[in-house]
Amino acid sequence: MLVQFYNVTKVYTNGVKALNDVSLKIERGEFIFLMGPSGAGKSTFIKMLFREELPTQGQIFISSRSIVRMKRREVPHLRRSMGVVFQDFKLLENKTVVENIAFAMKVVGLGNREIAARTAEVINMVGLKGKEDSFPGQLSGGEQQRVGIARAIANRPLLLIADEPSGNLDMVTAEGIMELLYNINRKGTTVIMATHARELVRDAGKRIITLEAGQVVSDLCTLE
Amino acid sequence: MILKNFGYFLKEALISLSRNRVLSLATVTTMAVCIFFLGVAVLLTVNAGNFMNQLESDIEIIAYLDDPLTDEELKDVETDIQSTAGVQEVTFVSKEEALQRLQEKFSQEDYDLQQTLGKNPLPNSFEIKALNPQEVAQVAQAIGDIPGIYKVNYGQGLVEKLFQVTKWVRILSMVFMVILALGAIFLIATTIRLAVFSRRKEIYLMKLIGATDWFIRWPFFIEGIMMGLIGALIAIGLLAGGYTSLINSAQTALFFIPLVSQQNFLVQVYMGLVAVGAVLGIIGTYISLNRFLNV
Ligand SMILES: Nc1ncnc2c1ncn2[C@@H]1O[C@H](COP(=O)(O)OP(=O)(O)O)[C@@H](O)[C@H]1O
Ligand SMILES: [Mg+2]
Repeated sequence: MLVQFYNVTKVYTNGVKALNDVSLKIERGEFIFLMGPSGAGKSTFIKMLFREELPTQGQIFISSRSIVRMKRREVPHLRRSMGVVFQDFKLLENKTVVENIAFAMKVVGLGNREIAARTAEVINMVGLKGKEDSFPGQLSGGEQQRVGIARAIANRPLLLIADEPSGNLDMVTAEGIMELLYNINRKGTTVIMATHARELVRDAGKRIITLEAGQVVSDLCTLE
Repeated sequence: MILKNFGYFLKEALISLSRNRVLSLATVTTMAVCIFFLGVAVLLTVNAGNFMNQLESDIEIIAYLDDPLTDEELKDVETDIQSTAGVQEVTFVSKEEALQRLQEKFSQEDYDLQQTLGKNPLPNSFEIKALNPQEVAQVAQAIGDIPGIYKVNYGQGLVEKLFQVTKWVRILSMVFMVILALGAIFLIATTIRLAVFSRRKEIYLMKLIGATDWFIRWPFFIEGIMMGLIGALIAIGLLAGGYTSLINSAQTALFFIPLVSQQNFLVQVYMGLVAVGAVLGIIGTYISLNRFLNV
């Protein structure tokens, strides 16, 4: 079991109850859509996974380890087992594509040779060959998100987390990004993706967890 | 970790320094100004302390002797004074010598004091230095009780006032330096916080990717230390130049104020300020970083 939520409730300091008694389990290798209207609590759920926010009540286990009871200095190790993709990409504007990706590996202490090899590999995988030395400002939105995804998978995470990764992209570009995520999942990485775009999810044949007002209102598999 | 990644940290620090040139310049300037004033405060304190010490060590007890005393009685009194607790130095001043000094004070060659007064009215006396100027009153009292001594004088009243003044000068200069140091830390923390703030996105990303706090801190620390050192060097350059020319002109114009001018000592002060620059850089960076690391 990769992810376990037990009766997780999150109340922000301003009193907003973003998650309300959420319990669920996610197996290794799954592809999960986290659906729900804006304000349903999707981003809050996502932030709990990499411990940007802690639950007000309840327990969360990642690979059978409680991240609630985890010590502060253990958090970096938790996060190294995950890759995160953001709606606004969060690329460093003053670094090239290669540097943006290498940065993630440098941070966790990989050697230069390993970094160069893996950078080439993921750039190939997300289809950005030839753009290595471009700056984010010189790339289209779809290309920028591919850099974001490359950065997220460079450290070979167990779990890839994406919060509205195609939220800023047009439909065709979004479908390209979805293909990429399916590919990554096929190679064994668990993927959790939050989105409110039904058209991306409808015929995917993946497990869909729907949140509404902080509660899980449905959790089912659609047909392929 | 620091050794393995030092090249990377240094490179990041240099990139950041040159990328945020305006902010770096502002921080260095702030550092230089703070350290300069800190240095001025230190030199003022040191010189004030030196001046106070000198004033204090000028304090002496004068014990006037009964007249007449035989040589033997005189010897006895001197031994008694020397064996009094807290006495450092005893000098005998004969009545002739006392008159001679008085004569010098009038310093009119054609006016013969001895002739005017006829018989020398001044008594024999001992000049006594206390081991610790603060104990002058007790020592004077003990000496006053020795038989053969007719009166003791040490500037009663004035000495106590002097000690009040020197005590307050010392306390105030300490307070002044502490305030300056705190002000410097605050200013530096503020400028570095701006630098950190402009890179908060990068810091947030590093945290989410799984960087340890120290991995994130080091480049900023190196940056802070470098800015502190550069600022300190500028400040010390100005300070040393200014102080040296002050010493040179003081020898002629301000001869009555004894400026501390031992090279060894000054070099120590300047080195201390360099260290202060580095430490201020570290503290300032530490304070401004921690808030952004809490992700
Ligand atoms: N940091 C925060 N502080 C206070 N309230 C928040 C914070 N983040 C989100 N919320 C509130 O929590 C609720 C759920 O938000 P969010 O998890 O972002 O939903 P979603 O991603 O599904 O749109 C919303 O009402 C939002 O305003
Ligand atoms: Mg959201």
